[in-house]
Amino acid sequence: MKKKIFIAIIILTGILLAASVIPGNPLYNVNWALFSPVIIGLAMAAFFWRFEQSGATSKEIALIATMAALAAVSRIPFAAIMSVQPTTFIVMITGYVFGAQTGFMVGAIAALVSNFFLGQGPWTPWQMYCWGLCGVSAALLARVQKGFKLNTFAILAGFWGYLFGWIMNVWHWVGFVYPLTLETFIATYIASFPFDTLHAAGNVVFTILLGKSFYQVLMRFKNRLLVVFEEVKQ
Amino acid sequence: MLAYREKENLIHKLHPLAAVAYITVIILLALLFSHPVYLLGLLLAVGTVIIASGNYREWKPYLLISLGLITVIMLVNAVFVQAGSTVLFNGPRVPVLGKIRITLEAICYGIGMGIRLLVITSVFCFYTYAVHPDKVLKLFSRFGNKSVLAVTLSTRLFPLMIRDVRRITEVQRCRGVKLDTGSRWQRVKNRLPVINVLLLSSLERSWQMAESMQARGYGSGKRTCYTRDLLRPGDYLILFAAVLSLITGIWAARQGWSAYTYYPRLESFKLGELKMAMIIMLALTVPAMLGWGWKKWPLLKSRI
Repeated sequence: MKKKIFIAIIILTGILLAASVIPGNPLYNVNWALFSPVIIGLAMAAFFWRFEQSGATSKEIALIATMAALAAVSRIPFAAIMSVQPTTFIVMITGYVFGAQTGFMVGAIAALVSNFFLGQGPWTPWQMYCWGLCGVSAALLARVQKGFKLNTFAILAGFWGYLFGWIMNVWHWVGFVYPLTLETFIATYIASFPFDTLHAAGNVVFTILLGKSFYQVLMRFKNRLLVVFEEVKQ
Repeated sequence: MLAYREKENLIHKLHPLAAVAYITVIILLALLFSHPVYLLGLLLAVGTVIIASGNYREWKPYLLISLGLITVIMLVNAVFVQAGSTVLFNGPRVPVLGKIRITLEAICYGIGMGIRLLVITSVFCFYTYAVHPDKVLKLFSRFGNKSVLAVTLSTRLFPLMIRDVRRITEVQRCRGVKLDTGSRWQRVKNRLPVINVLLLSSLERSWQMAESMQARGYGSGKRTCYTRDLLRPGDYLILFAAVLSLITGIWAARQGWSAYTYYPRLESFKLGELKMAMIIMLALTVPAMLGWGWKKWPLLKSRI
């Protein structure tokens, strides 16, 4: 049942996307500023739906809430010194240790909650989606390697500095730039390049400085979280 | 801590459904319309409602920041967009951009988009300062109570952790760690233990939180509800006004009245097509009117 709804959401997203580029139907060439949040919303609904169905225990919910609040709060002690913050790194390391579902939830909730305090805006769903995907991608990386490898994690973190900006640019581009041509697209991306570089550099620095210790602390917590019942043979 | 402050007026006491419906309708209409007069109508409506909710002081910085952004959008648009037939300025050739050619149409398009941006930032300002986030979350908990619980817990933990950060930094200062002097790199390095300690103590707290949830029987049966928000006549009126303006807006968009062609030459305003803007604006100021009535007449206050 839950698999079916998940697949249904993916198919619906695909159909909507296809309908907007294939001529000859009512959705062709729709208002993209209106249409893109719908797509993002559907993609996030799929993740949230999976989480609702997953039978998460009180411990997992408390963990997700805590890590999301930590990622949101970590913007503050460093805000006074520089414009980079360890939020992306914290979301990624959580996803790396606890898996894709927890990673996505932590990223999405961190964006939502920090915006309760910094101010909500049309950027909220996009940030939720971007940070959610940060957690998911780190979880996928954890599947292909054992333990914590600083190099690969730092590369992924640095890459996300750029990808985050690139996804956010899509929103900016479809919402406020006209005409939607290749030139304006490239101009938008060039304009965001310095900010993305700063973000990427910050992610790499935080990975190098905090990566190992965060991994160990979270790993130990994960081991405490797992309770395995074994029958005693007599 | 929370940006929201409870204020004594009708708009702050609305049912979250009415407030969220009102905000959604405005965002949808702002993205649907491209006619500057229609967008201006929306802006006036949102502005009146924000002032009626007593949040003018909070709205001001939003206006200032958006005005800065609008200037940037206008400049970028004027420089990069070569479409438009009324040339105001023919500039020299620039290596990457090509020939600079500033047209009236591109500037007007920038202004139109600027008004749209202003409507959207204003309506989010309204959401941030006039709608209680917990009430909205409760509205959504019907669909997914686990996610909503995680968000609520996280919102509660946020101020707590900020207090933790302050406490830990103070302890570090007492121990002689230099957090405010020294090179930038040194300061960053000295602040890192704060995050590490915060991680450890919050994980410990999350464990306790989970155990207390368990002890209170979380997830042991069907969820119960402690408080329930009532939909009062005022909420119905606002819901009705929002739906009415959405229908009028969609109808006007289908007629092509709310669209506006900027390129290649500015279109002239047709008075007949603008009457719908008036209706939408009036319908969307209903919360402000009710709010003023609520303050003036105790009888109305008791009825809605």
